[in-house]
Amino acid sequence: MTLDWIDAFLISGLFQVAMVIGLGLLLHLQLGLARIANFGVVGFWGLGMYVFGVLYTQVGLPFGEPWLFLACAAAATLVSGAAGLLVGWLISDLDTDGVLVVTLGFATAVQILATTQDDLTGGARGMGGLDFPFDIGKVKDNEFLWLVIMTAVVVAILLYVWRVHRSPYGRLLIAVGGNEPLARSLGKSTFRAKLWLFAVASAGMGLIGAMNGVMARYLDVGQVGVGVTLAAMVGLVLGGTARVWGAVVGVVLTVGLFDIVIQSYLPLPKEWYTQTIPVMREAAFGLTLMLVLLFRPLGILGDMQRDKLMGKIHGR
Amino acid sequence: MDFITQSLVIGLTENAPLVLAAIGFALLYKLTGLINVAYSETITLGAYFGMWINTTFDLNFYAVLIPAGLLAGVLSVATYLAIFRPAKRRNVGVLELIIISFGLSIFLRHALQFVFGYPVRFYDVPPPDTIMVLGTGVTSFRLLALASVAVLSGLLYLFIQRSRYGLQVRALANDEDLAQVSGIRPLAVTVLIWFIAGVAGGLAGAFYGVGSNVSALLGWRQFLLILMVALVGGSWGLGGVIVVGVGTSVALAAMQLQFDQSLYAQLVLIVAFVIVIKVRGTRLTERAKV
Repeated sequence: MTLDWIDAFLISGLFQVAMVIGLGLLLHLQLGLARIANFGVVGFWGLGMYVFGVLYTQVGLPFGEPWLFLACAAAATLVSGAAGLLVGWLISDLDTDGVLVVTLGFATAVQILATTQDDLTGGARGMGGLDFPFDIGKVKDNEFLWLVIMTAVVVAILLYVWRVHRSPYGRLLIAVGGNEPLARSLGKSTFRAKLWLFAVASAGMGLIGAMNGVMARYLDVGQVGVGVTLAAMVGLVLGGTARVWGAVVGVVLTVGLFDIVIQSYLPLPKEWYTQTIPVMREAAFGLTLMLVLLFRPLGILGDMQRDKLMGKIHGR
Repeated sequence: MDFITQSLVIGLTENAPLVLAAIGFALLYKLTGLINVAYSETITLGAYFGMWINTTFDLNFYAVLIPAGLLAGVLSVATYLAIFRPAKRRNVGVLELIIISFGLSIFLRHALQFVFGYPVRFYDVPPPDTIMVLGTGVTSFRLLALASVAVLSGLLYLFIQRSRYGLQVRALANDEDLAQVSGIRPLAVTVLIWFIAGVAGGLAGAFYGVGSNVSALLGWRQFLLILMVALVGGSWGLGGVIVVGVGTSVALAAMQLQFDQSLYAQLVLIVAFVIVIKVRGTRLTERAKV
């Protein structure tokens, strides 16, 4: 198969879009259903990426590809999930202010550890040596196949989120977001629901981070910045925090616009690509976040259609 | 003994801006109920305003402090009038307000680079004098920062606790409706709070900037510590913020001396504050008056 119809920039842009959609979908479970604002998305993503990188390049596990990738990605997912369990326990009885402190604190701690443990992570110098778990020809071919695999993972996350919306667990998360004391008074274990929510969502973010590490092939601390959390949050808020498809629509309109349309197709001066466009992108994302919440807080897709959904589920 | 005196002197002088910024943030939080993530950009812009005035008009650092603080205060009021007041009128919830302030923070942090440029900037100041305090060398800027924090903290405390406007501020924080019935103008008092908080943040930014350099991430790098000091110390009022801020500053300096690595010190403090917030257990103030 020839891939002349697609260029390397487009593959990279589409990978970014798919990755942020995955993060946005997982954030939707926390912010859209349980109304818990996780400002530490980048922490779980970065933890997965670095655990994967360290295991892959430093430990010397006795496996060949693709088992080496699978073992390292599984470990990264488990470690991120365990971190999510810890953060979920920490925030379980805190309000929005406390959640902000703990999740931001977690993301900062991951960034500090990635910087200071430079014998493992390469610190500010970065860490190379990562590669695809297959070799089907040129770098572009491998990257395209990796994009397809990432898309499949994101579709699986979308199906999981869709199932959660229609499950008793999803209704419990909505109850936690609406009125937690009431849910508790009805005998529901909101504590367990929050722990499970954070463990699963964080594990998913860690897996996405590990997969991003393979695509990047070189990890540096600069990647573990607040921009990752921002991209997922602005996409979700623009599309609609309460809707399953919110993250998909929002991320296509934000990350898709900047990382594909503007980066690849607009005839902009070359010198803009190093600093002007990235800075403009983040400023535009911040502005979008503000304006959407001020003027259309439910996003493009609007409110959750619970009555319609419940009617379908119960055959009414 | 040397270690303790060095930790005290370095902690109090180098981290004095942290206390000043935390006082401003806590004032806003206690009296308006808002966690304003964009406060980090008030600090950054204070540093940028100071650097710009210093390098453009060739003013010395001490003369720069007043306009830098005033400009940061005006910017703080402008964000209230343009963003947070309309949000209040639209009955935006607590969670959404925090996300709005996060968006504002990101927007300002990047937009200011179009105004002031991308490279790291520096104040144009002569090398400061070094003064020996308890056997530890301290620059005159650091001592000035410490003196400013001490004076401003005292003035703020007196203003809030003793003055007629301070009484109005406290009344508004306790019960807005009752305060309004008593003839207090909520808008004027709220604007006053945002202005004072902005001035405190701007001055902290100028002290941070002259001590090292001015970059777009200056305020954001300090924000988490400021937030934690304000949330934990704020339970006991402004006095609590000052005590926790001073304790944090000294602990930070002590750990920097011990580990020879400032990031480890920050990591230990983050863990310690999270444990305090968890152990305290009770929910924090769930309100957003703005």
